[in-house]
Amino acid sequence: MARAAPQLRLVTAETTKTHCPYCAFQCGMTITAQHADRRQLSIQADPEFPVNRGQMCIKGFTSAALLDHPARLRSPMLRQNGRLVPVSWDHALDFVAQRLRELSEQYGPASLGAFGSGALTNEKAYLLGKFVRLALRSPNIDYNGRYCMASAAAGQNKAFGLDRGLPFPVSDLAEAQTLLLWGSNCAETMPPIMQWVFEQKNRGGKLIVVDPRRTDTARSAALHLQPTPGTDLSLANGLLHLAIEEKLLDERYIAERTEGFDAVRRSVLTSHPAHVERVTGVPIELQRKAVRWLAGAERSMALSGRGMEQQSKGTDTVLALINLMLALGKVGKPASGYGCLTGQGNGQGGREHGQKADQLPGYRYIEEPKHRAEVAKVWGIDPAELPGKGKSAYELLDSLGPAGGIRALLVFGSNVAVASPNSGNIVDKLAQLDLLVVCDAFENDTSANAHVLLPTTQWAEEDGTTTNLEGRVILRRRVQDPPQGTRSDLEVFVALSARLGRPHGFQFESPREVFEELRRATAGSKADYSGISYEKLERQQGVFWPCPSEQHPGTPRLFAERFAHPSGRARFHAVPYRAAAELPDSEYPLYFTTGRYKEHYNSGAQTRRVAQLVDAKPVPRLQMHPSLARRLGVSEGEAVLVESRRGQVRFDVLLSGDIRPDTLFAPFHWGGKQAANLLTIPALDPASRMPEFKVCAVKARAAGPLKD
Amino acid sequence: MAKKKLAIIGNGMGTCRLLDEFAQRDGFTRYEVTVFGEEIGGAYNRIQLGKVLAGEAPSAIVTKPPEWYDQHGVRLLAGTRVQSLDPLRRSIETDDGQSRRFDLAVLATGSQPLVPPLENLLVENGELRLGAFVYRTIGDCLRMRERVRPGDCAVVIGGGLLGLEAAKVLSDLGLHVTVVHVAQTLMNAQLDLLGGGMLCRQIERAGIFVRTGRTAEAVYGEERIEGVILDDGTSLPADLLVLACGVRPRVDVARAAKLPVNKGILVNDTLATSVPGVYAFGECAEHQGKLYGIVAPVWEQAVVLADVLCGTKPQARYRGSKLYTRLKVAGVDVASMGNLEPELESDQVYQVIEDRRSAYRKLIVRDGQLVGAMLVGNTAAAATLVQLFDRGDPLPEDPLEALVSARSGAAAAPADRTICNCHKVSEATLREAIANGADSVAALGECTKAGTGCGSCKGELGQLVSTLVRKPAAALQVAN
Repeated sequence: MARAAPQLRLVTAETTKTHCPYCAFQCGMTITAQHADRRQLSIQADPEFPVNRGQMCIKGFTSAALLDHPARLRSPMLRQNGRLVPVSWDHALDFVAQRLRELSEQYGPASLGAFGSGALTNEKAYLLGKFVRLALRSPNIDYNGRYCMASAAAGQNKAFGLDRGLPFPVSDLAEAQTLLLWGSNCAETMPPIMQWVFEQKNRGGKLIVVDPRRTDTARSAALHLQPTPGTDLSLANGLLHLAIEEKLLDERYIAERTEGFDAVRRSVLTSHPAHVERVTGVPIELQRKAVRWLAGAERSMALSGRGMEQQSKGTDTVLALINLMLALGKVGKPASGYGCLTGQGNGQGGREHGQKADQLPGYRYIEEPKHRAEVAKVWGIDPAELPGKGKSAYELLDSLGPAGGIRALLVFGSNVAVASPNSGNIVDKLAQLDLLVVCDAFENDTSANAHVLLPTTQWAEEDGTTTNLEGRVILRRRVQDPPQGTRSDLEVFVALSARLGRPHGFQFESPREVFEELRRATAGSKADYSGISYEKLERQQGVFWPCPSEQHPGTPRLFAERFAHPSGRARFHAVPYRAAAELPDSEYPLYFTTGRYKEHYNSGAQTRRVAQLVDAKPVPRLQMHPSLARRLGVSEGEAVLVESRRGQVRFDVLLSGDIRPDTLFAPFHWGGKQAANLLTIPALDPASRMPEFKVCAVKARAAGPLKD
Repeated sequence: MAKKKLAIIGNGMGTCRLLDEFAQRDGFTRYEVTVFGEEIGGAYNRIQLGKVLAGEAPSAIVTKPPEWYDQHGVRLLAGTRVQSLDPLRRSIETDDGQSRRFDLAVLATGSQPLVPPLENLLVENGELRLGAFVYRTIGDCLRMRERVRPGDCAVVIGGGLLGLEAAKVLSDLGLHVTVVHVAQTLMNAQLDLLGGGMLCRQIERAGIFVRTGRTAEAVYGEERIEGVILDDGTSLPADLLVLACGVRPRVDVARAAKLPVNKGILVNDTLATSVPGVYAFGECAEHQGKLYGIVAPVWEQAVVLADVLCGTKPQARYRGSKLYTRLKVAGVDVASMGNLEPELESDQVYQVIEDRRSAYRKLIVRDGQLVGAMLVGNTAAAATLVQLFDRGDPLPEDPLEALVSARSGAAAAPADRTICNCHKVSEATLREAIANGADSVAALGECTKAGTGCGSCKGELGQLVSTLVRKPAAALQVAN
């Protein structure tokens, strides 16, 4: 070792361009590996990638810490006499296949289920969907994207006939004269996007933020509307009412490019500003200012985040915002319209390729005979062999165990024990499974009950594509070899299907081969990838779908000419206001809402293992307004017990005038007794099945010192 | 199961909302609904009548055109007046001589404008003399509109919400407008003497004349109205007379049907009358001794009634409404909620009077809770106050803090918090750097490295610079 000369190290240093493992912004990064005595990686933001342009957040900078992390799983584990013990891959896979066969025979194939993730590459998402439908023969697959942007997806599908997070490149943000960020704290959740927001402001643009909290993002805004949690729909309808009252509509656009406006116009007639003010707490003058700014600018853009989407009426709230932007004639015009800031790394691609309970690859619907036939043809099966629609994420997890009927669950890249609403219930249900298989790089809160743990490779150890928030398909590259003892999820699907006696359709040697089939499977669909190749992705810094042929350059901007409904028109939807599923009352008098810290990602399964991130944000803190704190008799840093009808959590208090006095906030990145989702309510949106993470009723009191 | 026949008498704003609530609850799968509406056409938003008076097409305020009823399988009998209701035989007689059976009936007959007993106001057949109008329906507005010419003189009797709205529209159409109001001050149901006086001065400044403490005694003119004579003997020439002196619940059908009626039709917390199968809500209903003449309580009743009748929440109960009025009266912002004056010895009253700005704010506080508030000329705190009032949330120790809006974020975060996480730069360090001459985000980056990692804290840096450097900075922030 000592003989390794410094020069030699330099010669063998190798730089690879790839993308961050975390959020949907998918920052371009360069990883330089020193192939010398030790595996050392240095990570830089890629200045050439046109999305993040050389910026990256602290999570990306520190992401290499996950690769050779000491806690990483390096061997399959099998529960024996209550303890997980290392076993060989063959042993583990034989066991899983054997149990799946037994349970399927005893309870039917629908008793087997799988839970996927927006962290999986397109190739994995695609093959997981195929694996569940063809190898397990079960309808029951869904994924954590249901907890992410499912409401925006449902809303866009209804309004535009197509769902792509942003219908334009993120660089268009800088050109908007008015930019509205609704329910997104992207300064913390997606920090490098702020360069586009700041550029927009520097060019003289107006920034509006809607958020119950004065977040870092809201601080940047010229206008901050601070609605009561769960009332965003009322506010959006109210803005349209004002646009009508002030005659700000684009009547010509409405006539030429849309349908259904009259019903919406009539429906918002009763959303009087004074009534909206009472419901939302947003002063009439600020409502008026917001709508004037949106209408008055030639280029104006509204982007939604989880704040408005993670509600039991999230889809309707998205539709109300789309109604507004359509009525103002903005959608499909340059640097204008509506978009959703997708959350997870591959939240976009993850929802396109058959990981959803009701969908097949290419956004095809599993209940639509034509779509079934198209996919069955590529898969070389009779359409009748395809199961129907399965249960959505929370409903699937709620059905675990003998009572619900799902006896076996395979989990890929998701920490459902932390990420689900009313998570205490889900933890109980996981414990009732006959077989729980967790495929992950680390143990996590979900694997605590697993019968089998399969150690998987991580993002820098394998090739694969993701699709970022813009609908840009990008290529992640293998930077170094995975540790001994780990395998890719793709290999797991291949090995299990063979052991289940259904190898047909699972003969893949590499991610690229899976991608080639994915291309064929999406040909002619809405999310058409058929013209995309790994080479083209490298050449073009990613390709925007749809891309229907080798010669096609991809589609950075949608809707300029027509919408994706057969009529070519966008559809308005009348969406009258309704209250949140649970409102504060005398017993539980406060609102509770959740969100993120910049330093952590989702359930924290990865980021809570990175020392720098844990140092920066070691624990969740309960954000509380000083006037509420005075009333409760607690001061900065003291412990508070927060209780909902579903659970209780003890948090240390962070006093802040940035939150409404009637609302408490906590981040959801922690599990166990610190899990914010022990409190949240599993009320689901009827269209998207999105749980109401963003509003429930709680009570709070000083907790006193911890006894133990 | 056969659908029950549900008859709804009246097609105003209450019924419109009730139908929406039914639609949301799949109520039309349980009930075969017939709506009896006296006016032609579907339901409309009465609150926006001013628009029609000002010249907009009536369709601009229609909330449910007749097609809506067809699409939802609701039978609309528009232009049909209900003559009588027989709760025992469960039948309804209409003015076209028809009789219709029902299983359940909902009375939503609303109210009618009061016509004061002015001498010479009515012609022989009992109709209003030409030039005199009530202000209640689209028809009233269209007829009024036909007669309105710039330069005409109008007298509006009644200085409440409706009268002032009509006065403003007429004034904007170029008429000389005088409001005659019986009480000492305008909007005396929503404002105290001080507030009403403040409003009055503002309205006069906007070009409308006001006579308070006066009643009209007679009108003169034969073919048409030519003027009004007040109780002090003054004559006011007028081409147009608008009667906006209050409403009376419409209870004739209920009374004739022998339903229990006091001022309004008596209902309990489920909006039921004591006669099985007959319900009432809206302006015609009397609940716990209270009648409501504004729309929000009526909507709250509609929600409860839909929950009860559709079975979505059979235990839903209506417990009365908190009163809130919020509007712009002739250019003046006004908000009023709850009590106008203290009632108990222990009630605390806070008043902020800005005479020169014609702004007035008043809070009435009981046991740390807001039981009444009024705002004239400065309604910035209305949103905060009404939510405190609605929920009965405790007020800040000094209730006046609520007026500067609890959300203006006066409380500072601790100064040692980390602002740039990438480089671990605290607020204290940044303050020091600014004190030492760093006057921009870029300068801060040079001396502290803050903002040079992911860049996500630049907004906060900008804010810090703009507050501490005291010059117009790029990063502005306007929170409410």
